[in-house]
Amino acid sequence: MLRKSRAQRVVLTVFGLLVAAVFVFPVYWMFTTALKTPAQILSPDYDLIPLSATLKNFTNAITKPDFGTFLTNSLVVTLGAVACALLAGMLAAVPLARLRFRGRKGFILLVLVAQMAPLEALFVPMYLIMRDADLLNSLLGLGLVYVAFTLPFTVWTLRGFVKGIPVELEEAGMVDGCGRWGVFRRITFPLLGPGLVATSVFSFITAWNEFLYALVFMREKDKQTLPVWLSSFKTAFGTDWGGIMAASVIYAIPALIFFLLVQRKLVSGATAGAVKG
Amino acid sequence: MTSTVDTARSAGTPPPAARPGVRRRARRSLSDLATPYLMLGPAVLVMLALLCWPAVQVLFISFRKLDLGELVRGEVKWVGFDNYKNVLTDPDFWVISLRTAVFTVVLVASTLLIGLGIAVLMRHLAGWVRVVLQVCLVLAWATPIVATTTIFQWMFDQNYGILNKTLVKLGFDSYQGYSWFSTGTSTLTVIGILIVWQAVPFIAFTLYAGLIGTPKDLYEAAAIDGANGWSAFRAVSWPSVRPLLMLTTFLSVLWDFRAFTQVWAIRQGGPDGKSTTLPVLLYLKGIAGSHFGVSAAVAVLMLVILVAVTWRYVRLLVRSPETEL
Repeated sequence: MLRKSRAQRVVLTVFGLLVAAVFVFPVYWMFTTALKTPAQILSPDYDLIPLSATLKNFTNAITKPDFGTFLTNSLVVTLGAVACALLAGMLAAVPLARLRFRGRKGFILLVLVAQMAPLEALFVPMYLIMRDADLLNSLLGLGLVYVAFTLPFTVWTLRGFVKGIPVELEEAGMVDGCGRWGVFRRITFPLLGPGLVATSVFSFITAWNEFLYALVFMREKDKQTLPVWLSSFKTAFGTDWGGIMAASVIYAIPALIFFLLVQRKLVSGATAGAVKG
Repeated sequence: MTSTVDTARSAGTPPPAARPGVRRRARRSLSDLATPYLMLGPAVLVMLALLCWPAVQVLFISFRKLDLGELVRGEVKWVGFDNYKNVLTDPDFWVISLRTAVFTVVLVASTLLIGLGIAVLMRHLAGWVRVVLQVCLVLAWATPIVATTTIFQWMFDQNYGILNKTLVKLGFDSYQGYSWFSTGTSTLTVIGILIVWQAVPFIAFTLYAGLIGTPKDLYEAAAIDGANGWSAFRAVSWPSVRPLLMLTTFLSVLWDFRAFTQVWAIRQGGPDGKSTTLPVLLYLKGIAGSHFGVSAAVAVLMLVILVAVTWRYVRLLVRSPETEL
């Protein structure tokens, strides 16, 4: 954008790539370690680029019993929680950003303070609530817990994004006879894209990562999720780094796919030029 | 833009004076009146049932003696402020609180500085380098925490970790078998690097979105007025980034102060409790030690600290509904 000299551009490029390398290195190291044999891992030397690779760590991990169940459980709980949090969050964000009503400030305060509760502390009451509602060992129960954990952030962030959409656009839609719902469907919702992506990423990560509640609420083996599966590697194999890294890769892949799918939306300022013609 | 929103809305509200059309207006505004509450309904319900109600219960539990026995028998035994006395008279609690405070401040400051730096950097990079950087940041961000803690344990491993292997190769033989987890400070440093590394991408993307949201004409105008890099940043970028920076500071304080998974997974608060932070203490007292009353007291104290620290900002957010974010 601003004119730069050639030297400046080269320095910037090199620096940018350096920063990129620093950030990606741990992830890269996870992938390459997963491809190594125990002998390679124990040797005092290491190859930055894996010259010989083995897939044995991966086949070991996938053929562990119940891997498919764990994966399905994690996907169902996470995607369900993301969808519900987005829907409820969007419904709440629009009136918060656009309408004036009694209790609005109270609700905002509720959202902000709810975000501060240490989640490890809510454990015992949450357990009792879930037990009384007969939702222990249920994917629905765990999913609801995750929706609750992510809702405050979702509502808050989406409210900001709705506010960012120029009211003039919605008013123009009203003038053109779209009606409230039409305005929402044709104008607000599409412009909300980056906001929905940002919040869905947040709730995906929260739900996909959560370990403690998943471990204690899901006592039956066929209801457990991937973080619990990953932790079972640590105890079973001790310091089999290749095995653990392969399991970590498998655990990380769905999250990586999800992020890369939405990555372009994540950084686009879709509303930036929407008012100016 | 905010002021435009405001005038537009106030112009649209019906004047209070009685007019012929007032009946129709009143009826429409009745359904208008219900709309916000119906839309807030699902979110309020979930948050009340699964965040607020448990939080209120934690408050009650903090005034009860609730160990495993009481929990199993379903016994309610009120002890007044005993749990708080117990916690507050323990010198360890104050050491841990101070440690947590320092840890949080250092982490928040480094995350925001690095995040802002990268956001500005992204703005100036050529297209393809920017995409490479963004993909790398996304990869760091997206890798699940349980996996990244394992990666860091592996990289910092005493015998086979890449860090020690590299240091030995470079001639620092004393790092052969050196343990990065032998002192609290060094353990917390490793945990800090891990947390900052994963938190920076979100901050960088958020601030970058704010930066590119600034209309380009403003920069051109600033350039015509003779503003160079720094003063252009101060005059043009800063106003659009400032509210986002405050928001991300607020969120980072919340997240870093409550960071549990990483601290616990790396060394369970060790060696010898030297890397224990408040969330770990809460876990040790509660789920690990089955003193749920004491643990609840720690939780309430944590919440009090957080609210006290963030109060001014929260009040700002609630008081001025016109703030952009």
